[in-house]
Amino acid sequence: MDNSVLRVENLSVRRDGQLVVDGVNFELLSESDTALVGPNGAGKSSLVAALLGLLPRLTGEVFVMGHRLGPTGELPHGVRSQIAYLPQSFALRGRFPLSVAEFVAFGFDPPGPRLPWRNRSKRRKAVLVALARTGSSKLGAKLLSELSGGELKRVLLAFCVVRPRKLLLLDEAQAGLDATASEQFQELLLQLRRQEGWTVLQVSHDLEMVRRSCDQVLCLNRYLRCSGPPSHALNPQRLAELYGPNVVAYQHQHHG
Amino acid sequence: MVDSAGILAQPFMQRALLGGLLTGGLGGLLGSFAVLRQLSFFSDALGHSALLGVSIGILLGINPTLVLIPFAVLFALLVNQLVERSKLPADALLNIVYSSSLAFAVVALSLVETYRGGIQQLLFGDILGIGWLDLGVIALLLLGAVLYLVLSMRAQVLLTLNSDFAGAFGVGANWHRIAFIVLLAVVVAVSIKAVGVLLISAFVVIPACAGRLLSRRFPIYVLSSALLGGGCALLGLFASGLTNLPSGPCVVIVQFSGFMLVLLFKAIF
Repeated sequence: MDNSVLRVENLSVRRDGQLVVDGVNFELLSESDTALVGPNGAGKSSLVAALLGLLPRLTGEVFVMGHRLGPTGELPHGVRSQIAYLPQSFALRGRFPLSVAEFVAFGFDPPGPRLPWRNRSKRRKAVLVALARTGSSKLGAKLLSELSGGELKRVLLAFCVVRPRKLLLLDEAQAGLDATASEQFQELLLQLRRQEGWTVLQVSHDLEMVRRSCDQVLCLNRYLRCSGPPSHALNPQRLAELYGPNVVAYQHQHHG
Repeated sequence: MVDSAGILAQPFMQRALLGGLLTGGLGGLLGSFAVLRQLSFFSDALGHSALLGVSIGILLGINPTLVLIPFAVLFALLVNQLVERSKLPADALLNIVYSSSLAFAVVALSLVETYRGGIQQLLFGDILGIGWLDLGVIALLLLGAVLYLVLSMRAQVLLTLNSDFAGAFGVGANWHRIAFIVLLAVVVAVSIKAVGVLLISAFVVIPACAGRLLSRRFPIYVLSSALLGGGCALLGLFASGLTNLPSGPCVVIVQFSGFMLVLLFKAIF
């Protein structure tokens, strides 16, 4: 299909000797926002890692913009540079002598060896725009290791948006953000999809946000339990199958 | 006490100063990445294993210098595999590796009658005995390291921050991790003659830690670590020449003093 950005066929992943993802199939179409939900230990992060080529596949194939992902994550540079990723954790140990602006600038360069001073003025302009878009303009001179958890998330997003991309994978990227920052984050994702044609896959435990913002849901608990629009995939019966009966009760109370 | 002009006029001292500048700069340069990647202890283990490499060379009747580089590289790759595959903490594993290799090396060297006197030289280095060939090798290595690190700066920084994040953005994390470890092993092996087994990790760690405290920008950090490494080596060697004290320890004392000054400076300002 022409507007297929990511296609996953019969994907199984083993981590530390255990089968954590089993025979998963799905497809992400251009400009869609898909949520990957499931209980802790359901294999969500492992699935994302396998899609990025960070974990080897036991079986199956992954196609990114029509290109087959190699067994150890090989993709043409042109395709790889269109993928962005926000990890679940990004712990820095001790003082790291790298400013936020320097860090975001590394997101501008495509993979491969190059002289760091090439495209300097273009890169600088792109960094300023990316910092402004993510509400991080005041953070440019700070050290990366001086940021709070929420600030770091915004700066990581600035790293992703500093150059045009097509596919954004978020692994619980909004965890730790306050309500306002979370809203701004979703607003920016919407803007990136509508105005620049990005496709988003986000791992999330925030089912309310998923209902509001995503147009497709993948329910994972080692294998894909259900998928479809939020109204279908997050109905009480399916949530009970995925999380257990307590979550269903919570959902009912919440919506009255 | 010897006068400074007299020291500088000696060809062996000129070679030693140049050797110190290059070795110190190289140690600081690689140290800037090694310290951030928490490889300080790894460089220490490499230094100790070098002694085992030397002793194997002597026992086999091969020039130890020829054995040292391949041995250090092989050793580094094996230890890296061990650390990655084992469920034990890296510092405990490295401790086992370096203390065991030191024990084996000393026993092996004590079996060779003619080499007993050389242990002191291996432990603390003999930078005054450095020749033009050694200088050429160190200069080439420095050039290679600068080229590799500058061209792969994006990959090195992202890999140092978070290897999964780096991999997602197209950095060949495994390839660069191994390339860096091999480079570090070669640098340690080449510097052993000048610096000695016991002091090599100081050359890697101390200037980088001082640079880390001083800098707020990454290129400045890398550059300041290399300059501090080279500068402290020059000053230490000069002090050693003036006072007739052992050269390697003099350099490390200067590095330590520099580090303490930086700490003091950071505490005040």
